Amino acid sequence: MKLILSDRPLNLELPENGEIRHVDLSTLQIANCVGCFGCWTKTPGRCVIRDDAVRVYPLIAESDTVVYVSRIKYGGYDTIMKRMLERAIPIQQAFIRIHRGETHHLQRAVTPKHATIIAYGAIEQEERSIFERLVARNGYNMNFIDHRILYVAESEVEKNVKDLIETWKKS
Amino acid sequence: MEKILILNGSPRATRSNSKRYAKLFSRHCPQETDYREIRKNNHAELRAGMEHHADLLLVFPLYADALPVGLLNFLKFLETTPPDHRPVVSVLVNCGFLEPQQCEVVVRMLRLFCQRNGYPFGSVLMVGGGEAILDSPFRFLVNRKIKHFAKSIAARQYGTWQTTMPIGKRLFVLASTQYWLQYGKRFGISKRQMQTPVIEGPDSE
Ligand SMILES: Cc1cc2nc3c(=O)[nH]c(=O)nc-3n(C[C@H](O)[C@H](O)[C@H](O)COP(=O)(O)O)c2cc1C
Repeated sequence: MKLILSDRPLNLELPENGEIRHVDLSTLQIANCVGCFGCWTKTPGRCVIRDDAVRVYPLIAESDTVVYVSRIKYGGYDTIMKRMLERAIPIQQAFIRIHRGETHHLQRAVTPKHATIIAYGAIEQEERSIFERLVARNGYNMNFIDHRILYVAESEVEKNVKDLIETWKKS
Repeated sequence: MEKILILNGSPRATRSNSKRYAKLFSRHCPQETDYREIRKNNHAELRAGMEHHADLLLVFPLYADALPVGLLNFLKFLETTPPDHRPVVSVLVNCGFLEPQQCEVVVRMLRLFCQRNGYPFGSVLMVGGGEAILDSPFRFLVNRKIKHFAKSIAARQYGTWQTTMPIGKRLFVLASTQYWLQYGKRFGISKRQMQTPVIEGPDSE
């Protein structure tokens, strides 16, 4: 499955077979992670906050391709996307392994994935440079096989996602 | 001497490691400190407090390699409604993994915030193994570094420090496994249960 997570509404025409799914996070009720580690130690694999996030992280885990569409703030994901990424830690285990020379968490049933980040609002070079380090780091914790970042103007976001879907349909 | 304002950006502020780091900081700091926790609904109050402090210390955990979203939102609030007086911003960040260098990205984010919004940037302390180090025999290392760090802010001779448990990665993996097993045990959860590959089991709503 391919998953498009966006921090804004996108008008997309998706095939009906469910192979490509789009979740517009801006329409969901998602609270901030409270850092209780319940998803590792009390109800492993399940967040104790039973809001819309619990429908999203299983999709992230299942997908072999993810597209994260987000505004960038201070070189990181802006609030809507960042909040969801924090709430996705139930897909990891508490236990730690050595991965690419560093300590990182073991994953539950998380499909290794190709990631594309469609980033808007990052204009300065330094901000992009920080974001590139961040996504590379995230890749270690989020089971990315590879990733690429497309910086686009806000007005071009939807077009870029549509173009990507077209290339998937053709391949 | 002016007081230093410590803001705790941990989402679990009242029971956080960050609170313990902040306490150590206050203990070792030659200057007096005021301590507050960042919440959703106290941003304006915290900004008002910043007007009376020459130095601000942000103490927080690394979350998904970046700022916890509550702290990000506070910074965005400061950007839209800035204080008249901008204190020097210092950073004490802790991360769960062994390598304090995993915090370097978030420090760059804060530098960028400061640069964009006209805040002078001060000292940095990055703590690796931050979830457990304070209850380990290596607590003294954190104490020592916090002392240097606090003195640097008081003396306005800013610098960057890092510390972690002085053990190999393999030993850290073993020690952290024990740590999490004990954590699970408190809730009657076994190692097997904690290792489940299942995400949102069949009984989820
Ligand atoms: C949602 C979430 C995300 C986290 N992400 C990271 C991470 O990317 N890297 C890391 O080393 N630790 C990470 N941690 C671990 C915390 O940084 C660590 O447990 C820290 O000690 C918590 O500090 P606090 O008690 O002050 O909140 C994360 C914890 C949570 C709950």
